[in-house]
Amino acid sequence: MNNKQFLSELSEKCQIGPEQASSQVDTLIEVMEQIWQEGDSVSLSGFGVLEVKKKNERVSVNPTTGKRMLVPPKLVLTYKPSSLLKDKLK
Amino acid sequence: MDNKINLSQLAESLAQKGGMSKTAAEQFVRNFFDLISENVIKDGLVKVKGLGTFKIVQLEDRESVNVNTGQRFTIEGHQKISFTPDAELKERINLPFAAFDTVEITPEQADELIRMDGEGMEESKEEQPKDEQPKEDNKNKVDNKVEIPAAENEAKHHPSPEVREVTQKKGVRFLLKSLLGLLYLILGLGVAVYLFWPVIGNKVLGIMERNITDKEKTEVVATDSTGNVNAPVKEVAPAVKPEVKPAEKPEQITEPAEKPVEKPAEKPSVQPAAPADRPATQRESVTQPVKLTLTAADQAKELPEFTEADTVNYVMDGDMTVHVLKSGETITVLALKYYGSKKLWPYIVKYNNITDAGKLQPGARIRIPVLRNR
Repeated sequence: MNNKQFLSELSEKCQIGPEQASSQVDTLIEVMEQIWQEGDSVSLSGFGVLEVKKKNERVSVNPTTGKRMLVPPKLVLTYKPSSLLKDKLK
Repeated sequence: MDNKINLSQLAESLAQKGGMSKTAAEQFVRNFFDLISENVIKDGLVKVKGLGTFKIVQLEDRESVNVNTGQRFTIEGHQKISFTPDAELKERINLPFAAFDTVEITPEQADELIRMDGEGMEESKEEQPKDEQPKEDNKNKVDNKVEIPAAENEAKHHPSPEVREVTQKKGVRFLLKSLLGLLYLILGLGVAVYLFWPVIGNKVLGIMERNITDKEKTEVVATDSTGNVNAPVKEVAPAVKPEVKPAEKPEQITEPAEKPVEKPAEKPSVQPAAPADRPATQRESVTQPVKLTLTAADQAKELPEFTEADTVNYVMDGDMTVHVLKSGETITVLALKYYGSKKLWPYIVKYNNITDAGKLQPGARIRIPVLRNR
């Protein structure tokens, strides 16, 4: 399901126009970004947790050249599905 | 900080920012996430522009090893939801670390570190337990978005390959050393108990005796020892074997308790070393494979534990001296030289406003600050 389909279904479900749906999605993502930047996580029952995690720096080795590279630390947005959602998977 | 924002809190912020009623916002947020979870199950893929892609991936069966028992077992293939954040969002999230690039480490650097290894040995032991604190601080700093000055950031990145190299090797040695130390301690205790047994054994009252018997009994039975089960207690001067064996056992039992802290990958190779009350030559042969089994992944895993830097416990108080940088010296080497601890290098960086420690040239004048306990 691509973004377009997603937006149209969302607008239908909320009974709002597609443009409004699109702008609300943008606002929602902005709000969540703010939350993540403050170091908080977004936790929704039935869906899961979206949070920013720090990945530590590490040394990686290029298997073909054998060169060692130092990969810098990163902040990464991660998603952990709720167990409810997980159960629906095989 | 580290709060969990739930649906209603999220809806409230959205309502404020988007200028809508709270109920509408809540309804919208709920629909938004319901739609994602529904469709990711149904279609296997949901793309949301600005946020990212949720996708179902099929994982194949794979074999794994129970870290406690060493038994192999199969993890059955299953499905998993993967989430890939939108490229732009990803960049914005990573903004605090955006200045960092992947750098190559040369073998020369590695060599230098091995030389430094010897010097830093003692201090690494002290470092070990203290590690918790500075790490936390660093992490908090980052998470809080308290802007780490660019200078510190850069430097943090550059000298670190070396620090890591050394500490990692030290880590392995330290681990082995402490294991051996523990072993000797327990052996010593066993011998002491054995020597003084006639004295203790006769004086200790029935209850205690029974306790010990039980304990030893279970231990001996559990390990299937051929020694006489009751020998150590009932006979006043028992043979060495049954005496030493129970003494050794607890050591092995404590082993797994310690293990989870270490890397699981190393475990199988270190295990054989544990019961080794054996000559050094044999130990040598054990350490070798341990080092060899350190794959890149292991290194990576271990690194974070050792890349420590102290930035909070001291304040800088005037010049101690000025150091003219020689070829091959790094900031961490200076920290080790003047403060006796590599952990303190960030102060030197900060004091000199070094923006890129990698670009320092030999002959550069580095001011070494006096550090005062906060």
